[in-house]
Amino acid sequence: MSVTTALAAFTVVVTAYFVAYNLSQFVMAGVAGRFLWRYQRRRNPRNLALVARLAAPPFVSIVAPAHNEALTIVDSVRALLALEYETREIVVVNDGSKDDTLAIMTREFALVEAPVAFEQPLKSAPLRGAYRSLVEPALIVIDKVNGGSKSDAVNAGINAASGRLVLVIDADTMLEPDALSRAAMPFLEHPDTVAVGGYVAIANGCRIEHNRVTAVAMPRSWFARFQIVEYMRSFLLFRLACASRNGVALISGAFGLFLRDALIDVGGYDGTAIGEDMDLTLRLQAYYRERNRPIRIAHVPLPVCWTQAPEDWQSMRSQRCRWRRGLLQVLWRQRRMIGNPRYGIIGMGVLPYIAIFEGLGPLIELLGYIVTTIAFFLGLLDWQHWRVMLAASILFGAATTLVSVFLSDLSTRKYLRPGDLALLVTSAILENAGYRQLNTWWGCVGTVQAMTGKGGWGTMKRKAF
Amino acid sequence: MNDLASTFERNTLWLVGVALAFAVAMILAVVVERIAVAGHEARLRRMTAHYAPLVRLGLAGDAGARAALMRIRSWHRITIARLILLPLVTDRDPARIADARGLVTALSLVPFADRLLRSPWWWRRAMALRALGGMQAVDHTGAIVAALDDPNDDVRNTALDALADMQDPVSLPAIVVRLHDASLHRARRGAVLAAFGSQCESFLLDLAAVDTEHRLNYALALGICGTAAARPILCEWSGDARAPVRAAAMDALSRIGVDRASLPFVIAALEDGDAAVRAMAAAALHGHADRDTAATLARHLDDTWAVAVRAARSLQTMETAGRAELEARAAGAGLPALLARQMLWDGKASR
Repeated sequence: MSVTTALAAFTVVVTAYFVAYNLSQFVMAGVAGRFLWRYQRRRNPRNLALVARLAAPPFVSIVAPAHNEALTIVDSVRALLALEYETREIVVVNDGSKDDTLAIMTREFALVEAPVAFEQPLKSAPLRGAYRSLVEPALIVIDKVNGGSKSDAVNAGINAASGRLVLVIDADTMLEPDALSRAAMPFLEHPDTVAVGGYVAIANGCRIEHNRVTAVAMPRSWFARFQIVEYMRSFLLFRLACASRNGVALISGAFGLFLRDALIDVGGYDGTAIGEDMDLTLRLQAYYRERNRPIRIAHVPLPVCWTQAPEDWQSMRSQRCRWRRGLLQVLWRQRRMIGNPRYGIIGMGVLPYIAIFEGLGPLIELLGYIVTTIAFFLGLLDWQHWRVMLAASILFGAATTLVSVFLSDLSTRKYLRPGDLALLVTSAILENAGYRQLNTWWGCVGTVQAMTGKGGWGTMKRKAF
Repeated sequence: MNDLASTFERNTLWLVGVALAFAVAMILAVVVERIAVAGHEARLRRMTAHYAPLVRLGLAGDAGARAALMRIRSWHRITIARLILLPLVTDRDPARIADARGLVTALSLVPFADRLLRSPWWWRRAMALRALGGMQAVDHTGAIVAALDDPNDDVRNTALDALADMQDPVSLPAIVVRLHDASLHRARRGAVLAAFGSQCESFLLDLAAVDTEHRLNYALALGICGTAAARPILCEWSGDARAPVRAAAMDALSRIGVDRASLPFVIAALEDGDAAVRAMAAAALHGHADRDTAATLARHLDDTWAVAVRAARSLQTMETAGRAELEARAAGAGLPALLARQMLWDGKASR
């Protein structure tokens, strides 16, 4: 086979891959649009009032892990206490903080060491004590030795939780006031529901008061702007399309409402998993499907919470490499599910799609750039073809992201200022020329890290709100 | 292979055209959508500002305001109806509902709702059902009951909500026979029973007497709306062969309250082989202040965790007898002792 033939064959493969990917994005956009349209039609004050009309609304335990959160913990807890959902308790897990997290909570919420009895079906690092508030009866604080991962802290919180439902959030998650009512709805409507995820929006640029987003605006950082449209695409296209077919493979660690019994059944979060949220979601899917038990994992397509996205190069790089390692680890661990009809839509549709387009995507894209460069130096490159492919790639990428911007604006109407909307549209277009390629590179770095066993958790530089 | 590559090459040009067209179309869609929605919202704000004071006066019985509202253009009716009916979602004051119904009738909005009920679009039918239920238009109970058989499941569930809002006893038989309809959301079935309360009980007891297959559902329903009259049958069901039925019967007794006649059944259920039944039985004993019951219950602090927790919570409500058992246990070691200490601490904190 000559080099020219090999190059032509490679072109065919890459083009076919590209066409298949973009076609899938448009199909997903159609499915997600239909799902969102129906959701919006069903969304009315009477539906939301259902929780209040129940004789006994489901009791929810909110598990909030806290590690060195002295600066934000009081506002975080106060925001949780102010949620528009009466039947709930808040379990804060102080995960071996070295700062004054516990002392500050003790002072602000009149905590006293108190007997709190619970079984410990999930493994976690040893507990040091349990505290109750004399002013907020719904608040429980569990103090434990640092277990080295969020999973460990959350497992301790799930053990202490007394609710039928457990809401797991990140320490920096800012919940919408009606997030719990919205997330509880699928449990009330469908008895097979075991978990509910939600749309996690980016808070950078927004006005935050007492851990609540009070005004939405676009941030100054282009990194953050690109992540906003990236999250829109992820939460409003892929996840909605999956949810509409009962094929949710990932409930974000920032917001997940679970049946406590289901969490116990699968052994809770796995402290060794890098992508602990996807790992847990897939283990839930596997556990129920292997036992032929009905399972439904729902997704709330409106923002239920806000989180801070990294804005600096180093934090972004470590986050993306970690996500990549997490994805590959989960795909490897759950490889028996891929292409296996026993796991339904997850095995036959969602996981093969993730493996092909997310698992292999960065590698194929990077290979494309390498081959193009080599071909250029060998004088074998058809520049016309290369330019056309690049233009098509950027335009299709922009078009699919613009679909998600359109769906987001239609359903959530968060970015109300015309200037912000213009920035959203601009970000959706520019994201494909530079930012996406950067992500491809980090994806490849993450792949190498996964294969060599290198790369830590990394740290994220947070900005004070 | 080269032919294939050149075919791909030609097609990629076509792809660029499609991608460009799509990207431009999406930008236009975003801009047009934003302008359209902004225009619609501005119009809504204007109309709300204009009509809200009139609606307030109209609801208060002001004839002038009613006359002014009756002169409104027909395409403003939905906004007016929304202003009148939306507050009823949270404000279920009968006088407020009657005022709203009176105003809606005076404005001839009911025939409008009738038309929406016959709409081919499910969301319009659902909107009409919410409106009719919210304002308790009892002359439409038949139409709402008929909507329980609508081909669209959202409409069927909205009809159930509407019947819960309506609270017309005429609809009770239709509601109770749909207790086993899995296409209706379980929570909504529960909410409608809660809305009617004890009015449902006699229907449930009559049906339960002849329909043993769905006993679990009847037990769950009696847990929501049962009264003392349901105790005998719930006691009888504590001997049912199906554990979920026994557990639901105990749960229902827990909510209704245990009397002297039902106490032996609950005590017996504490020794059931199924942990869920024992847990519900333990919960049912809350508030029973006699020493023997407390002693029996205290033995279950060593039971399966779900049973132990409920036993401890019940002991906490048993005044002196329960506190004595908890104090005796609290001195020991292990999880039951910690649980006892927690209950004593909770008791002190709540005082």
